Amino acid sequence: MSHQVLDTLFLEERKFTHIIKQPVVRGVVNVLLAFAFFMALWWVFMDPRGWLRWYTPQYGYMYIRWLLIVAIWQVYIFNFWPFKIEWLEKTHPLQKGLIMIGINFAITGILVWVFYYWIFGKLAIPYFSWPELKKTGLSDFFSREYSSLAILMMAAIASWLSPIWPSAFENYPWHRLQQPAKGFTVLAVTFLFTTYAYFIFMHPHYRVLFYPWQEYTAAFPWWYESFRTLSGNFNVGWIMCATVSVWLTETILEHYPFRLVEKQPWRGLAGFAFILLLAWILFFTFTFMQDMVWGVSVEGAKRLMAPDWRYLHNGELAVILLTVALALYFYFDNWPRKFSTEVNLLVRVAIVIVGAWGLHWLYYKFSPGLLGTQAGYSHPQQFPMAPVILFINVMLYHGWFMDCWPGRRIRKES
Amino acid sequence: MEKDFTRRTFIKGMAVGTMAGYLGAAGLSSTVFKNQLLPQEKLNQVDIGEIKALKIKVVSETSWYDNNVFLNDVKGAGGLLVNQYTIPWTCAGVAAGYQGSNLGGFSTYIEATLMDGKVMKIHFDTGWNPAWMEKRFREEGVAEKLAKKEIDFMVLSHEHIDHFFGLEATLKFYPDIPLYVPKGFYQEGFDFLKGKSFPAANAINNIPHRGKMTVLDSSKVNILYPGIALMTFDVPIILRVFGEQAFVFNVKDKGLVLVTGCCHQGIISYMEEVRKKVKGGEKIYAIEGGLHISPFEDWDPQYDDLIMAFNKYGVQKIGCNHCTGFITAEKMHKAGLPVIKGTARNMTKRDIYLGNGDELAIA
Ligand SMILES: [Fe+2]
Ligand SMILES: [Fe+2]
Repeated sequence: MSHQVLDTLFLEERKFTHIIKQPVVRGVVNVLLAFAFFMALWWVFMDPRGWLRWYTPQYGYMYIRWLLIVAIWQVYIFNFWPFKIEWLEKTHPLQKGLIMIGINFAITGILVWVFYYWIFGKLAIPYFSWPELKKTGLSDFFSREYSSLAILMMAAIASWLSPIWPSAFENYPWHRLQQPAKGFTVLAVTFLFTTYAYFIFMHPHYRVLFYPWQEYTAAFPWWYESFRTLSGNFNVGWIMCATVSVWLTETILEHYPFRLVEKQPWRGLAGFAFILLLAWILFFTFTFMQDMVWGVSVEGAKRLMAPDWRYLHNGELAVILLTVALALYFYFDNWPRKFSTEVNLLVRVAIVIVGAWGLHWLYYKFSPGLLGTQAGYSHPQQFPMAPVILFINVMLYHGWFMDCWPGRRIRKES
Repeated sequence: MEKDFTRRTFIKGMAVGTMAGYLGAAGLSSTVFKNQLLPQEKLNQVDIGEIKALKIKVVSETSWYDNNVFLNDVKGAGGLLVNQYTIPWTCAGVAAGYQGSNLGGFSTYIEATLMDGKVMKIHFDTGWNPAWMEKRFREEGVAEKLAKKEIDFMVLSHEHIDHFFGLEATLKFYPDIPLYVPKGFYQEGFDFLKGKSFPAANAINNIPHRGKMTVLDSSKVNILYPGIALMTFDVPIILRVFGEQAFVFNVKDKGLVLVTGCCHQGIISYMEEVRKKVKGGEKIYAIEGGLHISPFEDWDPQYDDLIMAFNKYGVQKIGCNHCTGFITAEKMHKAGLPVIKGTARNMTKRDIYLGNGDELAIA
């Protein structure tokens, strides 16, 4: 960043020793390793032919979403606290990975089972709790599916709003606080916004999800007139585009252009606005592309022609785009870096667009065999975001917790 | 790391920002003005011919008897994406079930009178539990017609358990019945037709199908006889099934009648496809069969989208049942849709829609 950066993360201060010298080989080896780890996780936890089979689909999808947001908290909001920099620098990446992924899983489990199922769902809103919903007489299966959707939507919104603070605002005005005070403050603030956003964007979905409509507890889906669906998938779609935008600006776009704004909080506000603008560009561009391919969606239709599925698919397309961007950032050193910023960015954007095209093709061609899912774009119970986000989680574990070892390792600077 | 902030970088930043803004505006306008920008929809309607009259008899629309038992089977197996041939479906000890089995099945018997007076007899789907299906086939005279080879052909709507696993109950009476299946059957499905059983899923068939089998795909409207057509949809479906086909009949002086199995393609999507591909498709006279909306009495706001949009199509008779769901039927009645009531007999629990043994005649 140009000047007066208020707060930097340990992530940005890391210096690396390249264990595998040739950059392309290093990148490819790392991608393959990440993919192998992803496949192992998918088989154990998610695959409908695999071991635990949590991809029912919502139940496993919920965990995947929360693993992501907890990783963001660990690294972006708490800046690896309670671990010390020296420990992060000297400990073997494999050991760090095991410990920090373990913590990631444990916090996710505690949040879902203790916070949502036993506290929030029990004492406030039953649809956040599998056991509570079941007590109302709903089937065990759909109690778990409906509650999972609500819980995962909290995570989806958080993955858009939480990283904005460290990334765009550089934790202003709490940048001078020490960890963990800084972490808890930013977590509390961003989670407050997330909660408000959830009730505006997702709670109305639950007014019409139950029979009869829950008109005393939730607003009518206010987007219905303009966007021709009662489903919260409209919000899921654009919020995912916003999440993707945050991470695009954080990685391949290097906070450009809003980093040119000199002072906080104006830089953060410009960043927030830019991210929202980029999100809506993605959202409308993807909508338009789908209209071109399949024709304009039809109210009340299902599958490819359903307006709500089209919105959801915007999010799916955005996440595929992000996967390529993150792979470029983590594994190929955010190439290129040798030209002027503008040229670097444009080349990266071009790579990501082409790469996303390729990944999209690969995904729909090979996912049935590899992931045990069904062929076809629009399936009522299949969410490509689940496997794709799990793969993103693996890249984050690899890049954040394990320094992309064995391709590279942290170099001690003292 | 960037050098100091300069005027030049700021101008460049503005330029990039403007470009992004332009792209955004383009995206927005292309969505708002899509009627101008998108290629005009082409109607490519086929004339399927006409029939004189149509009689549709619900042989069995009760696919399972206890929703919770069914859903626990699904949950225990790992959810809605697990392969149906591997799930141990509960077929004993269910109080609400048929002889303790939770399994029922879906089957419809259709008589279509051609313009020359010949009556085509169609066996549409073969249900799930062979014992239950055989009982229903006997009660409705279908068994007798099968045994006498009076039935012209069988159509399988899709590969799902409740439409297909009761195969033996049909083949027992008529093993060489001519058969139409939609493209998308898995190898297990073809093996099952040839007499392979899947004991893990309690799917037993000891009688190989020996008649002619035709696989129909979605490339065109498949006209079987004048006024009788099948349309296939390439849709992935829960429990690892792919593809479904449904009937379009054209009844003289009435209009098009759509008869479905589960309608996983979605009823409005189906009507839209018919509008684009079949002459007279702008107006559907009647619909009969499963509409796959709330089969487990589950709900999703998307289903309300469907019910709210349904009225626009001006369908005059809706003989829905099966996976339409009771909640959906209640909401459809409330929305003023012409859902035909049934008689709640033969294990159909409510009279809110056409049940087992009920009939819809169109002439
Ligand atoms: Fe069915
Ligand atoms: Fe079905």
